[in-house]
Amino acid sequence: MPAASADRDAASAAFGVDAPLLQVEDLSITHEGATRPSPSSVSFRIDPGEVVLLLGPSGSGKSTLALALNGLIPHDVPAEVTGRVRAGHLDTRDASVAQLSTQAAMVFQDPDAQLVTGTLLDEVAFGPENLRLPVEEVLRRAEDALRRVGLWDRRHENPDRLSGGGRQRLAIAAALAMGSPLLVLDEPTANLDPRGIEEVYATLAELVAAGDRAILLIEHNLDAAVPLIDRVVVLDAAGAVVADGSADDVLRTRAEELHDLGVWLPTCTLAALRLRAAGYRMEPLPLSPAELHAALEAQQAPASATPAARPGARPTGLREPIVQVRSLTLRRGRSEILHDVSLSIAEGSFVAIVGANGAGKTSLLQAIAGVVVPPRGTVTVAGIDVGRADARTLPARIGFVFQNPEHQFIAHTVADEIAHGLRRQRLADDEVRRRTDELLGRFGLAERAHAHPFLLSGGQKRRLSVGTALVAGAPVLALDEPTFGQDRARADELLALLAELNAAGTTVLVVTHDMQLVTEYADHVVVVHEGRVAASGRTADVFADTALIERAGLRPPPLQRALAHLEGHPTLDGVVRLADLP
Amino acid sequence: MTATIDPFAAPAAASGVRFLYALNPLAKFAAIIPPSLALVFVRDTTTPLVFLALAYALLLVGARATRQVLATLLLALPAATLVLGCGFAAWTDAGQVDTTPLVLQIGEWRLFSGALVIGFATALRLMAILALALAAGFTTSGADLARSLVQQLRVPYRIGYTALAAFRFVPRFAHELDVIRQAHRVRGSHGGRGPFAAIARWGGYIVPLLAGAIRHAERVALAMDARAFGAHPDRTERHLVPFRIRDVVFVLAFWTVSAVILIVVRPWTGA
Repeated sequence: MPAASADRDAASAAFGVDAPLLQVEDLSITHEGATRPSPSSVSFRIDPGEVVLLLGPSGSGKSTLALALNGLIPHDVPAEVTGRVRAGHLDTRDASVAQLSTQAAMVFQDPDAQLVTGTLLDEVAFGPENLRLPVEEVLRRAEDALRRVGLWDRRHENPDRLSGGGRQRLAIAAALAMGSPLLVLDEPTANLDPRGIEEVYATLAELVAAGDRAILLIEHNLDAAVPLIDRVVVLDAAGAVVADGSADDVLRTRAEELHDLGVWLPTCTLAALRLRAAGYRMEPLPLSPAELHAALEAQQAPASATPAARPGARPTGLREPIVQVRSLTLRRGRSEILHDVSLSIAEGSFVAIVGANGAGKTSLLQAIAGVVVPPRGTVTVAGIDVGRADARTLPARIGFVFQNPEHQFIAHTVADEIAHGLRRQRLADDEVRRRTDELLGRFGLAERAHAHPFLLSGGQKRRLSVGTALVAGAPVLALDEPTFGQDRARADELLALLAELNAAGTTVLVVTHDMQLVTEYADHVVVVHEGRVAASGRTADVFADTALIERAGLRPPPLQRALAHLEGHPTLDGVVRLADLP
Repeated sequence: MTATIDPFAAPAAASGVRFLYALNPLAKFAAIIPPSLALVFVRDTTTPLVFLALAYALLLVGARATRQVLATLLLALPAATLVLGCGFAAWTDAGQVDTTPLVLQIGEWRLFSGALVIGFATALRLMAILALALAAGFTTSGADLARSLVQQLRVPYRIGYTALAAFRFVPRFAHELDVIRQAHRVRGSHGGRGPFAAIARWGGYIVPLLAGAIRHAERVALAMDARAFGAHPDRTERHLVPFRIRDVVFVLAFWTVSAVILIVVRPWTGA
């Protein structure tokens, strides 16, 4: 991008030659109660106009580092800090968070936790007002920031009326209005649906194109982020910098090394690594669907390439249906949210229920699991009518896991949490104890048996919530948006657990926005659109109908975009999962 | 969910007679406090009825006749008066009023007209105080109240604006409580019927609700600090909420009217 770099040269000239916006020197941060620092001895710099992606496996201290850049660590969040951070001409140890806010502005993960006022205009003006800028300057900045994120026309509305993506764009506008030359965004799309993610990235792309702000981005959705970035800084599991260079240098030449570290990579890069191992030429390594597509167009399949055995080819159709929905119509208040839905799910399948916001997918899952009682005779799970089932028989057929595991904890110890479900089955005490111990061992919670459920780590809480749902012996597990708002590592941990349960015979139903999750794990997809089932079938077959996917407000997964309409590669035809590649 | 009150919504600019919106929020509250205090100590039915009429007149003239205002004045307040009046009447010690005519007898239980008078006098007093508070509340936005507290009463803005930000928590927590109750029902933690089971059940909701609330509040605090909240002793005010001559006139006029009512009705002279 020569034009953009010329802009940035101009920008750096305006800020003074060779003055970095941000200089991190030998920075180590140890949280209270932690035994080792993470990040650890980190040094890097950000120059005016640069877009830097910070990568690292879970626990490497990415979010901690972000909080240190504008002084929230150590001023607001107590932690032991050695080394130093210079933001502009300020040292974060000496300057206050308020002073530093004019050097590095933050956008956090949860848009709702960043809003404090009643209208969009007040929200964006909030920061400049705190800085005691004159009213005309406050309004000038607010208008400029709102126009840049495309929300100026809605300035008098309450932020509650915006979609998730809209609220996160508002948070970006509020950060822009601080007037700082650097924006720090910590997982800004983790709480958004696919449409919200697109909105936020369209806004970020415009910021990058304007070139007047440097950006430090922490993000797991690399498919969306990679086209925007200039540089990548990678931390390892211990929190030390292992790579710092241009996106090309780091991601293309060291992809395998990064993958082994547990760092997220773009889906198409992962696919290319796998294809390269199968004998395809992948030089340079593709980072986007378009690049992968071009690389494959330019070559014939190697003679050695054979399609991987497709798990989807399992004879799902021959197995008994374990969940049957017949003409289910569901109302909430006066409005009908599901219209005459019929659906059949085979025993042992891994099913993803997908659809746009408000399509009715969570309602469908809740009706199947009896969280919302369906009309009699419309839903059958493992041989019982959910509409008639009592509170004791239902948990033995289907377990339901809520989005936030804390919401469903009711006991004071981990062991009681598990035992509760068994006691409700009126089992003998020693039987309860035996099965509790067995389940605690199976979910890796034996050592925490007497801890309070709220004192577990995030991953342990999630395992416990799955354990409580399955303890009564349910052959079907239903989960509502289990990866929403979580970082990638924790999401992967949960999915590995679900895959393991599924392999052992549990039927898994998941409502999700996460297309990568859908395509990698689910062998079956149900598309819900405006209260009806628009499609139900094998994952690859459902995603093959691109018109349907678009109509339902969904986005095709990146791998499918790369492999669509490919000439001369019959073995790659219709592949949507990494696991199905040669 | 549609009936949630938006504490931030500015009452749209209303012209002419809808004068309550144009007054300083503090003036409205200053005006109603003395008569509200006086109402706590009256025992008759006339005084609260007159103040009730005053509050109704104030709202019907000075505020826009929105569905919310009309529903409150014409349905909610009369219904509440009826229910509370009967409730207080039934609650009144029959021994104190057994010289008054008997209205109703069910077995051993007797209701005297004196009990009805006491019950409705109490209910009317409460409703009169509420109606006066509504005259101020319906015509004031939370944001303006916070601003005038900061601008006129010199309340530190860190407190005023943080309280305002906390209004955002309310709908979020209401939703979270719904989900928690649903989750506990699915886990089968009903624990039976009756007040003790209900207390235990609500106790079970509090831990997850508080855990979520504290985490949310910490995040909001970080986000506010990151936007320089509290950086200086004061902050730019784009919206001034002035205390003008008309506010003084309104307060004095309201006090005078209240005093005249009390002098004419004379509730404390053992009427």
